[in-house]
Amino acid sequence: MREIRTLIVDDSSVMRKIVERALRQAGLDQLVVHEAGSGAEGLDVLKAKPVDLILTDINMPVMDGLEFLRQVRAQSLAPGVPVVMITTESSEDHVKQAIQAGAQGYIRKPFTADQVKERIVPLVRAA
Amino acid sequence: MAVSLRESVEWVSNPKNLDETVDEVFRLMLGITCRHSNVVRAHADQESVTAVVGFGGPLSGACVFRAGAAAAMKMAGRMTNANHKTLDHTVKDAAGEICNMLAGVWKGKVPELAANCRLSIPAVITGRDYNLHVLAPEFEVRRHYSFDDGSFEVTIICDGLD
Repeated sequence: MREIRTLIVDDSSVMRKIVERALRQAGLDQLVVHEAGSGAEGLDVLKAKPVDLILTDINMPVMDGLEFLRQVRAQSLAPGVPVVMITTESSEDHVKQAIQAGAQGYIRKPFTADQVKERIVPLVRAA
Repeated sequence: MAVSLRESVEWVSNPKNLDETVDEVFRLMLGITCRHSNVVRAHADQESVTAVVGFGGPLSGACVFRAGAAAAMKMAGRMTNANHKTLDHTVKDAAGEICNMLAGVWKGKVPELAANCRLSIPAVITGRDYNLHVLAPEFEVRRHYSFDDGSFEVTIICDGLD
């Protein structure tokens, strides 16, 4: 089974661990996880390491998740890699902004492992 | 005729919105069933953790989450699958994230707020014997909840409404 190199971007280290646990509970147990506490740190990780999946919060200091995603696409740092926003922001407008910025999926916090399984696992399998 | 947020303040400030919010966050992310409590349980620990997330936009104010040290450590333990014995960085992070989710879910229950109200990054305060005061709030919804043998308090404060 191939490794799934995953970047989790969230200013909360607790939330990064929760997301990792949810991914493993959803069946992605071949994960290699890289973490970043802001969009800026996330860009640094992507410049150094290839990934297969990116999960990012929106509200973060230094650089928010939408700007991070725009920079990822503008700098071609992870071409073809699926990006899923995991965030407390739930309005249609936020979802639209995320899709326009290049996200393939959107999960609202709080979330269940089943939601992770339904929305993220298919993206990883298809990539 | 469109109703402004100010005109629907009674609906916005309905405590039921906050009760549903707390239930959703705690059930889904911590696996805890909370009960609204009319009794304010005195914290056996004197130290407490308070997390604050600000609202900006059509509603300005804050969501404030407060718990005694023991309850905060238990909640963090639920989120991290670890046993926390002090109010370390992880416990404070967990409190901030709980407050973040409470604020996000609560504002999501009101369509105008879901679309236009922004959230701040959480701020977390620890200490003993302190209280937050807001001068002349538009409204304040303060509720106490209990779970197992822990308790906490959530307050939605509005100091401005368009």
